[in-house]
Amino acid sequence: MAEFWRGWRAMVPLYVGVIPFGLAYAVSARSAGLGLLDTQLMSLAVFAGSAQFSAAGLFAVQAGWLALVLTTFVINVRHLLYSLTLSQRLRLSWPQRLLAAQFLTDEAFGVVIASGRTTLGFLLGAELSLYAVWNLSTLVGGLASSAVTDPQALGVDFIFPLTFLALLIPLLKRPLEIAVALFCGLATVLLVRVFNPGLIILVIGLGGSLLGAWLSRGRPDLSPGETS
Amino acid sequence: MNATLTILLMALVTFLPRLAGFALAGARVSPFWLRFLHFVPISVFAVLIVLGLPGANGETGIRLLAAAAASVAIWRFGSLWFGILVGMGGFWLLRLL
Repeated sequence: MAEFWRGWRAMVPLYVGVIPFGLAYAVSARSAGLGLLDTQLMSLAVFAGSAQFSAAGLFAVQAGWLALVLTTFVINVRHLLYSLTLSQRLRLSWPQRLLAAQFLTDEAFGVVIASGRTTLGFLLGAELSLYAVWNLSTLVGGLASSAVTDPQALGVDFIFPLTFLALLIPLLKRPLEIAVALFCGLATVLLVRVFNPGLIILVIGLGGSLLGAWLSRGRPDLSPGETS
Repeated sequence: MNATLTILLMALVTFLPRLAGFALAGARVSPFWLRFLHFVPISVFAVLIVLGLPGANGETGIRLLAAAAASVAIWRFGSLWFGILVGMGGFWLLRLL
């Protein structure tokens, strides 16, 4: 239980970014025509911020269900890399795997990797801490949506890259890690006009990781989650 | 198809990749792929940052400046919430100028 609360508290600093993001998602979803229950259901069942935002955008233009489901899949397929990384350090039973998988997010993965505490308790604490605050912000945003007309005008979407900056910078400890991050950033700038965002995350995420693995050959000290 | 069913399908296609990595636990992973996994958060987070930075309101310049200030704050003080506050505060301040 101590590990669970440690994980829960490790997520709290990110609330600064998550709360406005959750409010903004709910306002966008409501203004896209989704009901209060569907807006909340997405936060409860899908629980993936960037995919939920893009879904709100697609619902707004009345995209078909197949476009929504495929876009969501492409945006979220990166989670496979996260669970694969975590599975190298965690021995879980099948019920534990199902539970850890349902609530896995970028933020929970980032917090676990940054802390170096790869235990089930810490992971679930971080995951459910985010789940609670994300769903509460969705509820408040959904109820208050009529009061706020345009969350984009406030620039709340800027919190998304800031949150990932806060997760990335502590991971950059060696010149090679900085170089790989810069490579991925530059590659994104070049490809952003050619491919859709979900595909870019996948292609450059894979490419950057392959490059890092290849450039660090002969360096057995690197292993997933190793931050020292 | 109605919105509720679509959302449930979205949940399914999100859950499956999340589970897939855990399902592969116990598979023997060579040193190359262990190093690959070390670079996964670094690569994916770098992409997510660059995709989100420009925004849709033509404020790329001030967002880059605010992100630079946030980066310095995070690097210097090692605090997540302080970095995010510096970034958002800087962004709203630069907008007023």
